Amino acid sequence: MACGSTYLWRGEATWFCCGNAWGPCGSHGGGACGTCRSSANHGAWPNASAACWDITRPDLCGEGNIPRRGCGSVMNVRHQCTGATVCITITDCGPRTKSFCGEAACCNGQCRTNRILDLTPAAYSAIGSLSSGKLPVWIYE
Amino acid sequence: MSPNRNTPDAPEGRELHRRRFLSAAALGGATIVGASALGGLDADAAFAAPSPSLDPAIAKTSFAEGRVAGINGSMLEVAGSHGEFHRVQLTNATSIWKLHPTTADAVEPGDGLYARGVEMPDGSIAADAVWVNIVNLHCTIRGIGRDRLELAHNNHAVVGRVVKGTTAASYHGSALSSDLSRLRIGQDAQVLGAWRPKDDSIDIARVSVGR
Amino acid sequence: MLSLLRDLAPLALGALLAWSGAVKLAGRAPERRVAGTALERLANGVERATVALRAVGAAELLVAAALLTAPAVAGPAGAVWSGTAAALLGAAFTGYLVHGRVTAPDSSCGCTARGDEPIGPRAFARAGLVVVGGAASAVAAGPWWETVWRHPVAATALLAGCGAVAAVLFADLDRRLLLALRRLRLRVFGHPLEGAPKVVPVEASVELLERSLAWEAAAPVVRSGLRDHWDEDGWRFLRYTGTHGTDRNARRVSVLFALDVHADLDTASRPAVRVAVLDEETGEPVTDALEDVTARTALPIVT
Repeated sequence: MACGSTYLWRGEATWFCCGNAWGPCGSHGGGACGTCRSSANHGAWPNASAACWDITRPDLCGEGNIPRRGCGSVMNVRHQCTGATVCITITDCGPRTKSFCGEAACCNGQCRTNRILDLTPAAYSAIGSLSSGKLPVWIYE
Repeated sequence: MSPNRNTPDAPEGRELHRRRFLSAAALGGATIVGASALGGLDADAAFAAPSPSLDPAIAKTSFAEGRVAGINGSMLEVAGSHGEFHRVQLTNATSIWKLHPTTADAVEPGDGLYARGVEMPDGSIAADAVWVNIVNLHCTIRGIGRDRLELAHNNHAVVGRVVKGTTAASYHGSALSSDLSRLRIGQDAQVLGAWRPKDDSIDIARVSVGR
Repeated sequence: MLSLLRDLAPLALGALLAWSGAVKLAGRAPERRVAGTALERLANGVERATVALRAVGAAELLVAAALLTAPAVAGPAGAVWSGTAAALLGAAFTGYLVHGRVTAPDSSCGCTARGDEPIGPRAFARAGLVVVGGAASAVAAGPWWETVWRHPVAATALLAGCGAVAAVLFADLDRRLLLALRRLRLRVFGHPLEGAPKVVPVEASVELLERSLAWEAAAPVVRSGLRDHWDEDGWRFLRYTGTHGTDRNARRVSVLFALDVHADLDTASRPAVRVAVLDEETGEPVTDALEDVTARTALPIVT
């Protein structure tokens, strides 16, 4: 999998579930791309398509330049605090950036602001603990 | 399940001694304060910083998802949601989360789980961490009661139970707090909690609300 | 009363279908509306489902136009045909709902503007209303405008009643009212979650730890999530397990952190955290565990 080192974006990452699943996750389905699975290293990007943008509206939080990366895009996600890295494929649209404008995740005073990436449990747990709901990340491709 | 089994706040006998020993050891350890190592770097420097060992690119860790189909001693038999099958080995170094940090006897057949660990030669996964019934949902708050939040997730109604002493709230990115009185009806909220298979509700660990 | 309702059915149903059809045909982001619906599964994809949604919207608009104008254009026969077409449309909706309920019970119907709740009684009531309204229109005694002209007050009252029923069934007005009432109750009787003791939750300490330099230093050793926690003498202790060393020389270790029990991210952005790494078997401190990390970057460690 081509997981590059060219800087793409930075911000806050959260996690979500998709694909066949248990509990309240059961209604999510395969996501905007139809292939999303909780057990794979997948992610949701707020500018996966024009329709996706209408839902997430990162521009309302000052993230208007966030680039379009559609289904199948590959990203290298790096935990700002620990440097742990995971390579993911975009398979869904999200998170709803506009609902949490200005929210920050920090490492020792260095903060990354705004939710700009949702990771599946597999991807999120590779770089952090699921019981902590958000992480500051750098994203490369 | 009694609440005490889930909360490690009431130790007895040997465990109490062990905690005292560990407390003394922790207080005798190094004190670390100061500026961030990675946070202050620019994007290229942050990427160039060496990776720690917990790096999935090296494929050291495995991941399992599914529902507990059976429990065989400390081995969990897990039916994956896409038809796969996992055997997840709990060890005395495995952390188990089920609303709180808890122990293996809190895991029940029918529970959903995510497990991270190392794949063994026999195909089982020796778990480092297991999160039981954990969900992290984007919801809208539809109602507030003394012991519950009425939530809508993907327009499905979900009951979120407020667990005294556990449920915490974060407002607009503030630190998690035990003060839940600033939650409002109509707010968008991220709810992290433990799903209860018996009644399909959620025990809330944390709720984060935006502006 | 019933005859009045029957004769006004073409107007009420026509207006309803015109609104519903216009929303489907010209609404923004149709992909969003069909995502997760039974239509998406039936059409086997979002793109085809979007086309199907537009087609249904166009059909609704056609039937609406026929209901509203047929008596003038084609006389009583036109009224029968337009009413029958509306009833058939309602029957088709019902068939779609039954199919969706059987094959994809968790999906929504995608029927109206906010139709992303699962297929339930409300969806069936909506389809049933279209069937009944269509049948009534087919047997209407005369053009609806003559009825309005003859009984202006009764017709207005009846149409207002129909509007209220439609608002509940199609626009979830009752739920909006319920939310407003719940908000009012909180305002009048106070917030039910007021008065919780102000303590720093364990989750807040964990959050503070995970954003600290101490966590950065210990992260390569830590393998587990939080295993145990306890408070003692103003300290909060957090215990993890991990591995130190590589392959053959790997030792299982406990990683212990101690933080001020009152500190959280708002009060201590750069917390002082005490860290100790202990061999799990011997209980002896592993002194070089954190040094591995300090070689990574220049971390100031004060002992």
